[in-house]
Amino acid sequence: MNTAQRVRKAPIYIALVLLTLISVVPFVWMLATSFKHSSDIYTKVPNLLPLDKQTGEWAATFENYAYVLDIGGLGQAFLNSIYVCVILVPAKLLIDALAAYAFARIPFPGRDKLFVLLLTGMMVPTITLLIPRIHVTQSLGMFDSSWGLIVPNIASVLDIFLLRQFFLSLPVDLEEAARIDGASRMQIFWRIVLPLSKPVLAVVTITSFIFHWNDLVWPLVVLNDPELYTLPLALQQLASTESGRAYYIMAGAALAVIPVIIVLLVFQRRIMQGIAFTGLKT
Amino acid sequence: MIRRVTGTVAVAALLAGLTACGGSEEAAGSTTLTYWMFQDRTPQAGEVVEKIRTDFEKANPGVTVKIVKIPKDDYNTKLGSAVAANTVPDVGVLDQPLVARYAMDGTIKELPAGTVNEADYFEGALNTNRYNGKLYGLPVDHTAVALFYNKKLVPTPPKTWDELKQMSDAIHKADPKVAGIVVPKGDGYGAWMWPGVVHGAGGEMVDEANKKILFDQQPAVDALQLWVDLLPSSPRDITDSEMAFANGLAGMMISGPWDVATIKDQFPELDFNVAPLPYKTTPAGNIGGENAVVFSKGQNADLAWKWLKHLTSAENNTIYAQALGGFPINKAAAERDAGSFGEQQQGFLEQLKVAHARPAVPEWIQINDEIIAPAIEAALSGKVTSQQALTDAATKTRALLGWNS
Amino acid sequence: MASPVVADRPAVTPRPGRRRRPGFGRSDRLVGYLLITPALIYFVVFLLYPAMAALYYSFTDWNLRSPASWVGLQNYSDLLFEDVKFPHFWKSVQVTVQYTLIAVPLTLITALGQALLVNAIRRGSNLFRLLLFLPVVTAEAAVGAIWRWLYDPQYGLINAILGLFGIPKQNWLNTPELVIPALAFIAAWQCGISMIIYLAGLKGIPDSIREAATIDGAGPVQRFWKVVVPMLRPTTFYLVVTGVIAALQVFGLVYVIFSAGGGRSVTGGPEQSGLMYVLHLYLFAFRYDAMGAACAMSFLLFLLIMIVTALQFKFLKQEAA
Repeated sequence: MNTAQRVRKAPIYIALVLLTLISVVPFVWMLATSFKHSSDIYTKVPNLLPLDKQTGEWAATFENYAYVLDIGGLGQAFLNSIYVCVILVPAKLLIDALAAYAFARIPFPGRDKLFVLLLTGMMVPTITLLIPRIHVTQSLGMFDSSWGLIVPNIASVLDIFLLRQFFLSLPVDLEEAARIDGASRMQIFWRIVLPLSKPVLAVVTITSFIFHWNDLVWPLVVLNDPELYTLPLALQQLASTESGRAYYIMAGAALAVIPVIIVLLVFQRRIMQGIAFTGLKT
Repeated sequence: MIRRVTGTVAVAALLAGLTACGGSEEAAGSTTLTYWMFQDRTPQAGEVVEKIRTDFEKANPGVTVKIVKIPKDDYNTKLGSAVAANTVPDVGVLDQPLVARYAMDGTIKELPAGTVNEADYFEGALNTNRYNGKLYGLPVDHTAVALFYNKKLVPTPPKTWDELKQMSDAIHKADPKVAGIVVPKGDGYGAWMWPGVVHGAGGEMVDEANKKILFDQQPAVDALQLWVDLLPSSPRDITDSEMAFANGLAGMMISGPWDVATIKDQFPELDFNVAPLPYKTTPAGNIGGENAVVFSKGQNADLAWKWLKHLTSAENNTIYAQALGGFPINKAAAERDAGSFGEQQQGFLEQLKVAHARPAVPEWIQINDEIIAPAIEAALSGKVTSQQALTDAATKTRALLGWNS
Repeated sequence: MASPVVADRPAVTPRPGRRRRPGFGRSDRLVGYLLITPALIYFVVFLLYPAMAALYYSFTDWNLRSPASWVGLQNYSDLLFEDVKFPHFWKSVQVTVQYTLIAVPLTLITALGQALLVNAIRRGSNLFRLLLFLPVVTAEAAVGAIWRWLYDPQYGLINAILGLFGIPKQNWLNTPELVIPALAFIAAWQCGISMIIYLAGLKGIPDSIREAATIDGAGPVQRFWKVVVPMLRPTTFYLVVTGVIAALQVFGLVYVIFSAGGGRSVTGGPEQSGLMYVLHLYLFAFRYDAMGAACAMSFLLFLLIMIVTALQFKFLKQEAA
């Protein structure tokens, strides 16, 4: 980069830093609060570091984390959330991808009508479905169990829609060539379509992971047994029981966010690839 | 990528198999009683509840009590779902205003005559379980809101409305950055506290027996006007700040015992105490707290009532109520353990002596949120007079309930 | 949730059999049905059936406990015309529409601005993108607590910053006129997903077109309006449609923001100024035990979403023509 370019880019970086600050400050505050002692929470001027209210000295503590993990039940909830997501997200991806591929590529009677029907279903507000879904879950014997969190979420119309759109954009030639070489539909799906679709698979995986990791309403109505609580539910419980104790709530919130950030970091490269891929295709 | 996907699926299938094999049923011959309650407030409280539970199991061989603790804010949503899914507990806590509704449609059982000696319980708390004159549950604890005051700003707590207004004015005049009192809002919470003030002017909200709305009459109008009159010395832009009272930005506030521990934790330097609500003609307040009921679709009703007697016995009730952040409803327990309550808690105990139950009208929550709260807000924001706001609210309530007067 | 990859592609369904493909026989149909079966079962069991059941309940009086009793269209007519039973129904519609009209454009402008900036740099772009995405993944409980503090009339950061420019302190979450803008601002703060999708759209604009425009003497501003904006139209359209659908259903944010004080003040902020449609629905479903009416509300919302979406598609077609 030469000097002229640097000068030209400077305002862009300044603007970005300012915008990023707005995004990050609440996050930093959450972390700072989670490390504060109870008596240092409320200060006349907001403190973005865990400092002692009286002396202004550094006074960080891990006690809040220890408390929420153990007594707050967040440790168990953390494991429950991981368990649910590890089963749910891949299974959902598979079911959605299979359906999306059929809707994109395999001609069968009634296909497009079915697809439109599915899309209409996407527009039904989730809250509408809540109570009847509880009935269904109950009659399947899954009420108040981890399966009650997994099975009623095992497919997503929106994801099928997104995956289908992507599959449609792939060149048919490759698949036809493979067919001539004697590959079956499923072989084509596994060996050609899926590898080419890594970017969209990554995106669907991330969005569905974030959604289910943070989902509150469904676990709230389906789970009664605190041993099965997922993280958002345990966090909600903490926020309600400890209302007014921001240091506990923020420690819990930080614990909930960290895995999501790790997933984002891991998938960062894939998303980038996805974006680059589309760039080439246009 | 393919391998990775199939790998994950294999892991998922494996996990699925594992859980399917787990989860064995209870051993035959034993009885399990499921009890739902609000999440207790501290780990120590959890230990107390655990001790009460094991005592009961020891006294009743072959019985297991399964306690499910649910955050108060989510409790009704969960209970509604459980009712819809036909998976109600055998026995559980129920919000006071819900008792009438659940009794009306037979979701909960009537307390069999002779199960308890009614004289053992505080009458006000027991009455929150009545519907059409019959008892449908037992109180497990009760609580009240009272006046918190900052000792530095308020040397002696006001006893009457006039003293309250003078005190509030004086605080705000002395330092314009400090509000006299955090005036409650016109929301569901404010509307919940307001009847206590109405009773303080000798008024009533409704007359259930004769289907009369009374909250448009003079005592109620005076009660609302009191809040309106307090606003000039208690500006919203000061009191809407989070924890305004604890931060020393307001001299007084109306709140419940749950705030005592929170304030002590976070503001150890704040010197405060609690006194009964100021009144106009009669000392009064309102009762909150938890009732427990036995569900018609649950099992082991006899055992369930026995469990509730255990929770509300002279022996256990104080520690159980304290675990929930409330006060005992068993008179003997309350008398014996009065000394075990801290300085601030004494204020609430005083308040409870003159506390009133909320109307046992099945639609009361909706009336509280959708009609009374907006009326309070309309008067507080100065859009209409207190009288006008309450006259409108009463008309709407009559129309909703189909009451004529 | 949406994908950056497909966003810039118009939804076109190629007709099956338009072009002969080599070699897949009759059994191909069977494979097709087989592949959609799991998704279809899910659709029938967890979407279609519940939707039909909810539709049935919307014609009943039901409190979850007693059997539902048929009342025909009464819930619908009460909602629309009966001020006594549902005094705040129309208020909740107004609040939600108002919120949608402010939040969606604000979110998209913020997202586009962030995407343009991130797209303009190389070094550190990954880091900035990640940091700008943080608000999306922050738990709702934390979002609520954080923003109540930021909007605090006395200690809040926002009033402190505005104070630097001589703007007097505002009581954001407690002034009826300010509640909706304040909530919309939080939505814009959480625009990370839209930003990523815009970023994908920007990457999809071929350099050759930009270069051609530059050679033709277009400055950065002209390039933005003449090249970037038109090329991003499909992306913007997609984001507007999904954004409007999401905004009409917003719930968690208001629930968290106004549940201060232990969740007791659930009634939607000062003078119902934050009483979003779904919050109102939730109150009737789970607080006032009127599940039949709540189901009717949700079908009115469904209808509204259908109409809005259809209008948007029509508008797009006219634009394209």
